[in-house]
Amino acid sequence: MEQYVVLNKNDFDDFIDILAKLQKLVAPVKRGEKNYAFDEVTSSSEIALKYIPTILPPKKYFLPQNETLVEYNKKQNKREGTLYSEPLTIFGVHTCDLAGIQCLNIVFSDRPMDANYNLRKKKILVIGLECNEYCDEYASCALMHNQYPNGGYDLFFTELENKFIIHVNTLSGEELIKKMGMIKPASEEDMKGLEQLRIKKRKIFKPEIDISYSNLHPLFEKSFNNDVWNDIGNRCLSCTNCTNVCPTCYCYDMGYDTDLDMNSGSLIRKWDSCQSRPFATVAGGESFRPERAARQRHRYMRKFNYAFDKYNRYFCTGCGRCSRTCMAKINLKETINTLIKTVKAEK
Amino acid sequence: MRKKRIAFFDFTSCEGCQLQVANLGEVLLDVLDIVDVVMFREVMSEKTEDYDIAVVEGSITTPHDVERIKEIRKKAKVLIAFGSCAAIGGINGMKNNFDLDEIKKYVYGKNAGYFETIKTSALDQVVKVDYYVYGCPIYPPDFLKVLKHAIQDIPYTTKDVAVCAECKLNENECMYDKGIACLGPVTKGGCNSWCINSGNICYGCRGMVKEPVKNGCMEVLNKYNIPVEWITSKFNMYNKTLESEDKK
Ligand code: SF4
Ligand code: SF4
Ligand code: SF4
Ligand code: SF4
Repeated sequence: MEQYVVLNKNDFDDFIDILAKLQKLVAPVKRGEKNYAFDEVTSSSEIALKYIPTILPPKKYFLPQNETLVEYNKKQNKREGTLYSEPLTIFGVHTCDLAGIQCLNIVFSDRPMDANYNLRKKKILVIGLECNEYCDEYASCALMHNQYPNGGYDLFFTELENKFIIHVNTLSGEELIKKMGMIKPASEEDMKGLEQLRIKKRKIFKPEIDISYSNLHPLFEKSFNNDVWNDIGNRCLSCTNCTNVCPTCYCYDMGYDTDLDMNSGSLIRKWDSCQSRPFATVAGGESFRPERAARQRHRYMRKFNYAFDKYNRYFCTGCGRCSRTCMAKINLKETINTLIKTVKAEK
Repeated sequence: MRKKRIAFFDFTSCEGCQLQVANLGEVLLDVLDIVDVVMFREVMSEKTEDYDIAVVEGSITTPHDVERIKEIRKKAKVLIAFGSCAAIGGINGMKNNFDLDEIKKYVYGKNAGYFETIKTSALDQVVKVDYYVYGCPIYPPDFLKVLKHAIQDIPYTTKDVAVCAECKLNENECMYDKGIACLGPVTKGGCNSWCINSGNICYGCRGMVKEPVKNGCMEVLNKYNIPVEWITSKFNMYNKTLESEDKK
């Protein structure tokens, strides 16, 4: 099998038709005036090929917002682990979000391994889609080295004038291509076209902030007592939006939900956020991070400092969602810029 | 185990929250399997003094209300403040924007002398409340959760997280992106952002989160060029009662 294959744009409708018939298909669709969301589609006309990062990242398919982990029945003395999942294809995942999925994969396969996450993941086919231009001014994917494909997908689409060049990355991807009669091997000319696009992208995508990738971690290590956290903390509403929309935030809460019969019920896992006060509140009402400033600092440190220590990788993909969604204008790029200025001044 | 006996009461309110219960549909049958409803004006005419759980709708707005809620509290083992009027004062709190005598004249005209009125109170400003169901009207799944806890004598706290959190999880386009002011950021969630899901804004009917942040809100209004009065007027609609007095 060729590593690179080609789909003519004329055949895109057919491709999606077949794809949607094979198993449930989700893709970016328009949501309201300025927003997009991943949602189920059955034809190519519903798909937004040009889109800015969706309100929620594709993590919602890997780690559902409400997930039943255990079901019990007291009278029958039963308690069983459950997994509700279905085969799924996600089409049109940008490179920043592919990086986000990779981060989650690392966390949930670390010990103790999360069985539900990994079993669900096995049933998901990921098809990436390259950004030939920036989505908007909130992006910092080039700084985070996520503007080019870097694994984490079965197939990867790059749009060139009248065709898509597709990188086949896994066996599942290869099997899918075999079912698509309209797909042809890529010619030398196609490969040249792909190379030229990447060269062109190098001129468009440049680190969005004046700091090198490797210097981010030391910068945050030195920033624990920086004033910027108080400034942000004074403005933050604790609405939790920045964490809910982040492709690498994975914290959750668990709780039992009893059915009305007071006999059966389930253990449910729900997304949680370090930005809310109850998150770090323990029995007795004490809170580890009562101040918003501390909670915001924690969010940033989790992306650029702690995760780097643990997994040797930043947990910010540069997707810009946190800044895009923040009503109080708390902006990741601005925060890092302030840190660069003030940490230097301290020296 | 004897089924818990539940009685519904109403004070100053529209009884819309009780209607939500009557409208539960099939789930109501499951509820009736686990409790005995012994008093419920919305659907039955019987009356009794023997109940375990009092579900109380409405706010306290007259001296007579004060006596009556104290009596109910004495008889009930568990008291649930049901709906915004009971839990936070709700719409009735708008009265507290005015001088009591003036507003009485405005409403009753020359008959004002025949009516006694006091400042609107939420139930817990007068008696001890064990459980709260917020919302105008109540969000039925929220009520069922509280009821299940009350029957089992397990404490229940509504999580102190803004409506925005649920709104984001529902992937609604934010009202502020459309230039419309919304009280989601300062309002206690738990309603699954059902107003915004149906194209409306959040009116703050569930009461405020514990620590709303003033400068943050000003920042937001600035960013979207929204006059502060838009927010305060919306805010006063539901949240005037708890503003001045502390909870008991
Ligand atoms: S989105 Fe903005 S206001 Fe909301 S919690 Fe995050 S930083 Fe605070
Ligand atoms: S921190 Fe912000 S920019 Fe970085 S991955 Fe999360 S949402 Fe995207
Ligand atoms: S942040 Fe970069 S990779 Fe992500 S959507 Fe924007 S341009 Fe594409
Ligand atoms: S629409 Fe309202 S509730 Fe939803 S995110 Fe925006 S401000 Fe919050």
